[in-house]
Amino acid sequence: MNSSFLLIYWKAIFEIAILWFIIYHVILFFEGTRAIQLVRGIAIIMVAFFVFQRLGFDRLDWLFKSFFATSVIAVLIIFHPEIRSGLAKLGQRHIFTTQLREEELEIMLKEIGKAIESLSQDKFGALIAIEKNDPLNAFAENGVAIDSKISSELIQAIFTPNNPLHDGGMIMQSGRISSAGCFFPLAQNQDLNRIFGTRHRAAIGLSEETDALIIIVSEERSDISLVYRGKLYKDLGQVDLILKVKEIFKIKE
Amino acid sequence: MAKIKINLIHRIKHLFLHHPWLKIISLILAIISWLYIKYEMLAG
Repeated sequence: MNSSFLLIYWKAIFEIAILWFIIYHVILFFEGTRAIQLVRGIAIIMVAFFVFQRLGFDRLDWLFKSFFATSVIAVLIIFHPEIRSGLAKLGQRHIFTTQLREEELEIMLKEIGKAIESLSQDKFGALIAIEKNDPLNAFAENGVAIDSKISSELIQAIFTPNNPLHDGGMIMQSGRISSAGCFFPLAQNQDLNRIFGTRHRAAIGLSEETDALIIIVSEERSDISLVYRGKLYKDLGQVDLILKVKEIFKIKE
Repeated sequence: MAKIKINLIHRIKHLFLHHPWLKIISLILAIISWLYIKYEMLAG
């Protein structure tokens, strides 16, 4: 019975699966950017179209169709920066997984480790957020786009005092430095130890809203900390930091 | 071998645990769009 059902409806199941894949990835792609509001609007319109069609509201159906057809041009004009960057990034994404590959993470951590060690020795502050599952696009958008391969030299150059970008946070997405000079939300927790400066508060604030891993080098004490899901791991060495990040990304040694 | 198994389990877990609500909503939207197109084609 089940197999005959599958044989008859395999085309329909296949078509729905393709639509599901496309819709899921479109929503996931725009999650965290201002274009997500547009995607939500389109989803509501899709449901409204279906309801009007099934209930036989022909005039409303006609009105929505006419409105939808003309609004496509307006949407293309208003959201052209998001659509352009979205299409440009499409080719760089791993289609079946949003997580980093093990080799990419190894290379990334090696470069970050070198940079962090050097910044800590020079008593230069740093704030680096590594994207895990939750998109950081909304925070990356308020900084300066970099879109470069991760290198310890570039990280050190950005966080060197007097560099215009040294004061904000750096965001790493899909194994690349996506932007720097970004503002993160400050932690609302009033009980937070007073010795923690704005960098720590921003790191904890971001970790309360997303599942990003945030690395901090303190300017005053030159110690290295990691923040994940609102929890602060203090005074880590380069090796401890790398092990902790790997543990969070669930990578076996 | 064990590493491959761990990776596979991690991938399968990720498939279900990563944005489950987004997956459910997109499945509902996919079914609605498919039905809408089907009825539109029948009517047209």
